[in-house]
Amino acid sequence: MKPSTKTLLRLAPTLVILTILLGASLLYGIAQSLGYLTIIGEKELNLRAYQNLITSQGTAGREFWVSLGFSLWVSLASTILSAIGALFLATLLNRRPSNFNTFALNWNLAFPHLVWGVFMLLLLAQSGLLARWAGALGIIETPADFPVIVRDRFGFGIILTYLGKEIPFLTLVILVLLRTQSEGYLRVAENLGANAWQRFRLVTLPLVRPALLSGALLVFAYIFGAYEVPALLGVSYPRMLSVLALEAFTNPDLHARAEGMAISLIIAFIVLGIAIFARAKEEIQG
Amino acid sequence: MKRTTIFILLIFSMLLGACAPKSDMASAEFDLTDWDSVLAAADGQTVNWYMWGGSDAINGYVDKFYGETLKERYNITLNRVPVADSTDYVNQILSEKEAGVENGAVDLMWINGENFFTLKQAEMLYPDWAQAIPNSSLVDWDNPAINRDFGEPVEDLESPWSSAQFQFIYDSARMDADSLPRSYADLATWACENPGRFTYIAPGPGAFQGTRFVKGALFEISGDAAQWGTVDEVLWDEYAPQTWDYFNSFKSCLWREGETYPKDEYELHNLFANNEVDFSITQAIVGAGALIDEGIVPETSRAFVFDDYMIGDFNYVAIPSNASNKAAALVLANLILDPEFQAAQVLPENGFGLGFGIDVTRVSDSDQIAVLEDALANLGEAATPAEDMAKSLVGDAASPYQTMVEDGWREYVLIGE
Repeated sequence: MKPSTKTLLRLAPTLVILTILLGASLLYGIAQSLGYLTIIGEKELNLRAYQNLITSQGTAGREFWVSLGFSLWVSLASTILSAIGALFLATLLNRRPSNFNTFALNWNLAFPHLVWGVFMLLLLAQSGLLARWAGALGIIETPADFPVIVRDRFGFGIILTYLGKEIPFLTLVILVLLRTQSEGYLRVAENLGANAWQRFRLVTLPLVRPALLSGALLVFAYIFGAYEVPALLGVSYPRMLSVLALEAFTNPDLHARAEGMAISLIIAFIVLGIAIFARAKEEIQG
Repeated sequence: MKRTTIFILLIFSMLLGACAPKSDMASAEFDLTDWDSVLAAADGQTVNWYMWGGSDAINGYVDKFYGETLKERYNITLNRVPVADSTDYVNQILSEKEAGVENGAVDLMWINGENFFTLKQAEMLYPDWAQAIPNSSLVDWDNPAINRDFGEPVEDLESPWSSAQFQFIYDSARMDADSLPRSYADLATWACENPGRFTYIAPGPGAFQGTRFVKGALFEISGDAAQWGTVDEVLWDEYAPQTWDYFNSFKSCLWREGETYPKDEYELHNLFANNEVDFSITQAIVGAGALIDEGIVPETSRAFVFDDYMIGDFNYVAIPSNASNKAAALVLANLILDPEFQAAQVLPENGFGLGFGIDVTRVSDSDQIAVLEDALANLGEAATPAEDMAKSLVGDAASPYQTMVEDGWREYVLIGE
């Protein structure tokens, strides 16, 4: 669908501001990643920061590939599990519509990710609430006996936190869509002898697929670039790309800013790449 | 449509407002060699002091002792700006430089060696003042621990506030003072006799306490601290691998088996207070005193040091070169060094709890000497005994070692293999 001139005109004010503010910052970010650091008088452009990252040189570079892998693992696992969970939950809830369900899902959205992360930490850490109850009940003797659920090497704590936030979000997205469709499709399918699995696979899934895919893309893009949850619930090593980027950017040595910016841009390009890929695939199939 | 237009106008007026120059810029001229002219210029100014604001006790101390005095004696208003992390105002100053802002928001800032290095590198520090203020005569500028900050030459760009020394904290209700480890070698043994009960802060940017802890081990293993005052590649190549071996030798005995480490002092205090580990650390001359008052560690907490290689240093205040109220900032930096306030800052009940920034032997007034001595005699029972502190005190290594230690530790100890 091509937007009409009227729509474009209406969007113009927002677009102008976005282009100026975002465009200028983006250009400046690209310049910094290329070593244009006026604060220390560096004005020569070069690809050293990217080279360092790709060849694993320097403080940030040494961990770049591991961080990239870790970021991909956490983001993909969180996104896929959230999508599956949301699909399941939405199908379930769609059978018994009630305001309470919607409220329960909305309620969770009001919490910022950071608050949710702190909540998980207070609940699940080795000195958290659960550990203390377990200690009081005599199930464990010392805090160290409690299993490591958050701040673990594999990012399970981070993934778990995102699941708690993203499953309700995606469920809402799917539910909204399902509730605007008439129940007719499902009835017809049922009348024609489709069982529950067939109804899900042949009716519900095709209906919600586009919305679920864009929702999942949003979730992935968010998680891949987000800082606060991995900073709070991550371990010293491996670290997610966002954490590595900020550390390089705030390194006392200002030269490290180029690497910090380069990592941020790589994050942005990966998200962009995946978005374009998903859109292209969608258009072919749709 | 009308609403959109209003919205656009609103946005643009906000943008313009943000770009407009400050109207309350100080135009007062002064001559640093004539202190009276500084006082005159500072009269009526507001000094915006950016500092780490995470401790209510320190905030209260600053407002009560400096804020009230500045107003009464010099008609200067103190605006203490609490910030979560000193990197934040360093970045603010750097952004101001990039944007060409000449009347910056920051007049005075409390900085550590890392921030100092960054701002010196960016040439954003007001020069040639620290030894020109009257009370700088009380500062021992010949002491390498003062004229270098994290090993980086100070060069008259910042003025000391207080001193600190690396110490450990233990809980006297849990442990007996006789069973404490007194060297890095002891510590490794202790850690493996008590698996999971020790950890330290991960060395890295923004976690200098961890870096300092590792440097202490480097000193002990090489048998001398002073030789690290200058960079020596041969020395580093000889002792760095031994230091990593040392840390790896008891890594599996650490909390979480060395898989992860606390990232700052507060995380370590938390683990200690929750009885997950048996030691925390502090830099304060009152030891655990200030932390006990804030309820961060148990009341039975006490500080102690190893027999040697406990790095001590000074912390400083600096003025950005684009500060709007430099005269008032100078008056405040001078006030900080006044023996009266130097005595007040070490007393645990006042909430600050760091050591002297001045050399007390340079104070000539007998009343002031009495106040300072009295303060030292009342550090509280949570402090490390003064003779232990003095015996173990060593200076920091040259500044390039900071990054070398941090990178090396990450590569060979944290990541390993």
